[in-house]
Amino acid sequence: MNDGIDRRSLLKYAGIAGAAGATGCIGPFDGGDGNETDGTGIGEFIGSGPGNDRPAPEGTSVEDMPDLEGTLTVYSGRGQPLVGDLFDFLESTYDGFEIDPAYGGSADLANRINVEGSNSPADVFYTVNVGALGSLSESGRTVALPDEVLGLPREEFRDPDGEWVGTSGRARTIPYNTEEFDEGEVPDDIFAFPDNESFADGMGWAPTYGSFQDFVTAMRILNGEEETRAWLEGMVESGVSEYQNEQIIANAVADGEIVAGFANHYYIQRVLSGNPDAPLGTAFTDGDAGSLFNVAGAAVMDTADDEELAANFVRHLLSAEAQEFFAVRTEEYPLIPGVDPLGNLPAIDELNPPELDLTELADVEPTLELMRDVGIL
Amino acid sequence: MQRRGRIGEVLPTAASIAVALLVLFPLYWVVRRAVSVDGTTELLFRAENLRVFGNTFVLVVLVTVASVVISVPLAYVTTFTDVPFRRALTVLVALPLVVPSYIGAFGFVTAFGPRGELQSALEPYGVESLPEIYGLTGAALVITLYTYPYVFITTRAALRSVNPSVVEAARTLNSKRGSVFREVVLPQVKPAVGAGSLLVALYALSDFGTPAIMRFDVYTRVIYVNYNTWSPDSAALLSLQLVGLAAVVLVAETALRGRTETRGGGVSGDGESVVELGEWRAPAVVACLVPPLLALAVPVGVLFLWLFRGEASYASGGGFEVETVYNSVYVAGLAAVAAAAAALPIAYTSARGGIVGRFAEKAVYFGYALPGVVLGLALVFFGAPTRLYQTIPLLVFGYIVRFLPESVGITRASFVQFDERLAEASRTLGSSPRKTFLRVMLPLVTPGVVAGAALVFLTTMKELPVTLFLRPAGFETLVTQVWSAYEEGFFGQAAVPALILVGISALSMLVILSMEKYEVG
Repeated sequence: MNDGIDRRSLLKYAGIAGAAGATGCIGPFDGGDGNETDGTGIGEFIGSGPGNDRPAPEGTSVEDMPDLEGTLTVYSGRGQPLVGDLFDFLESTYDGFEIDPAYGGSADLANRINVEGSNSPADVFYTVNVGALGSLSESGRTVALPDEVLGLPREEFRDPDGEWVGTSGRARTIPYNTEEFDEGEVPDDIFAFPDNESFADGMGWAPTYGSFQDFVTAMRILNGEEETRAWLEGMVESGVSEYQNEQIIANAVADGEIVAGFANHYYIQRVLSGNPDAPLGTAFTDGDAGSLFNVAGAAVMDTADDEELAANFVRHLLSAEAQEFFAVRTEEYPLIPGVDPLGNLPAIDELNPPELDLTELADVEPTLELMRDVGIL
Repeated sequence: MQRRGRIGEVLPTAASIAVALLVLFPLYWVVRRAVSVDGTTELLFRAENLRVFGNTFVLVVLVTVASVVISVPLAYVTTFTDVPFRRALTVLVALPLVVPSYIGAFGFVTAFGPRGELQSALEPYGVESLPEIYGLTGAALVITLYTYPYVFITTRAALRSVNPSVVEAARTLNSKRGSVFREVVLPQVKPAVGAGSLLVALYALSDFGTPAIMRFDVYTRVIYVNYNTWSPDSAALLSLQLVGLAAVVLVAETALRGRTETRGGGVSGDGESVVELGEWRAPAVVACLVPPLLALAVPVGVLFLWLFRGEASYASGGGFEVETVYNSVYVAGLAAVAAAAAALPIAYTSARGGIVGRFAEKAVYFGYALPGVVLGLALVFFGAPTRLYQTIPLLVFGYIVRFLPESVGITRASFVQFDERLAEASRTLGSSPRKTFLRVMLPLVTPGVVAGAALVFLTTMKELPVTLFLRPAGFETLVTQVWSAYEEGFFGQAAVPALILVGISALSMLVILSMEKYEVG
């Protein structure tokens, strides 16, 4: 715990030093050229770690974006351990810009915005749950984002109506133990797993975890309820082990407790950050629910005091610096061209996710009923 | 105002009505929201709801009965017998109350669930799987382990006011221990057992975390799933049903309690041990150790495991903020003081009987029975249009609505115990009602007030849903840190604030037990 406190005060110190033109920052963002930013570079907020030898991120720098000024209430379904330092970075970049974060569960926050009605203090809603964004935009609580913001990420990662925009991505993957399998031995068809003998009694899943439920919803939409039910029952029959969440699955695969599992890609990266030699590989299925690519996103609320400021904040989440932060610190997929994902992960273009309107994933209730019926919830 | 030597009645009665209406206020939203739903009747009587009702009912009954079965004998052993290490055992038996039940539930699942720590540890010995922890068994076990101390604390306090010489006399006349307990002691502590059971039963009704983790479909879990799947209508109707069930529990407790209150004369028998355990000393110690050790060792063990396991994946992310300790203590302290003040008039009027007092005392339990997420949304509804929204005062008000009955229960008991003749004497000597209250009554009821405040402090420290909904922007506490670290999978970071939380709450438990000079009922 001391580590965290020291690092924090160090950051403040580094901020002062950075403004004075000291070294210790990465890439072209160290504020050494001109005084547009008075804070420190994003590198200080990302901290030391596996991302140190990365090339400078391309894309639009914070320096080339409109200044942020004023106070912004951000309802954040992404927790402080994940995005707190990014918010600190943006505050330190601009004098007179302050973020009032309200952290909470994504669905809780969306329900709260609905109950608050026109009195909601929320300016921006930021969440990993695209269904929550879809639900709010459907009830008319969001305002359309300007084209300068919508144009930043690749086209498939924004709402077709322009009400919200994706800011970082996560891929469904098959974490596998590299001492058990070579890369080519892991099936690239999600429906091959229940009947594959080499995976029997050796896989893990986390049915209570939101991203796993999104994956089942995707399968339901793509392949229909009957096939999905058969797949779930097939996995149960093949002796799949149940875990509390997907971080534990990635650990268990690395430890050799199981040979493979179903998890978001970044849980594998977190294990590898701590132990680069762990026998843990990432496999992707091909064009089915098993390789679903989902995003975290943000929307400007109809109750925003200053819609322009709110939209510019969302724009900053798509800056080169913020995208680099997502790539390195939260180990997600950056969504703008020119910023690569961490480590050996394939670039977005090399993935083959299923074609799916992400807002359809909001329809979780039939998924929960199905999973309960099969007896795994 | 000066009828028959009584202290002024108008002010406390008016204050009781005001407090009761204030804490019932959020209920208005629950009812209004449910009534505004289209197709109310068909949604209300779905077959699915019957199953949920049945599950909830069974869970509440099981947890309540189990808590009484654990607590009453242990309270007896720690007050009336010569069990060794009596003081230490008393503290230990009460201690599980400081652990938030959601942390307990997660600890139990991590330890005993499929692929849990215990099964992994036993795997080399050929243990492939353990008995199922999910469902009714796990939910009832965990909620009981973290709430039985309510019954223990209230029963123990009442036992201490039973005059030991009465027990001694009964023993001389009839040497069987069991019958002395049944015929002499039990009738005197029945109201206290009832008061503790009420807190346990309504807690079991409103707890969301444990049934969610244990996957048992009770009202709270289904309400939460409905909110998460964008079906607020269904959630509103189920909330209303839950309120109805809470009313049934309240009526049942009133009926069982009867009107057998022993008033005044409660000079506490100061724990003179009258029953010699003899060869039962060792078994008694073991009986006192099992529930708390099970309740404390499992989650604390799991927390330490996370802390020291040292895997990078468990430890990365943002750091621990000392400020959260201060924030937690600050709001819990405010809630404790405010609840003590709000409880005073209700405790006073209801201890004297009368329709207003009895109504007010029951009314305060509804907020306690509401699931936190429902209460949170109700207060969001009322708070959002005002300047109070997302300020400390509204947050503290939310805590009062949730936890006032804890404070009312203990404070009321000390008023019941107060000897009215003292007030009369004071008045005869020419003191004003106000002076009599401040100088004679208040000092005698203070231990009850302080213990009630400490109980509110302890439960506020670990409260999660209302805190998440109503805290000011940027205001983080120990529980919100635990929650967000857990939510993002950074378990190592959840361990430190969780352990600090348990540590601070344990201190307030010491305050509660040191104030044990009141009778609860």
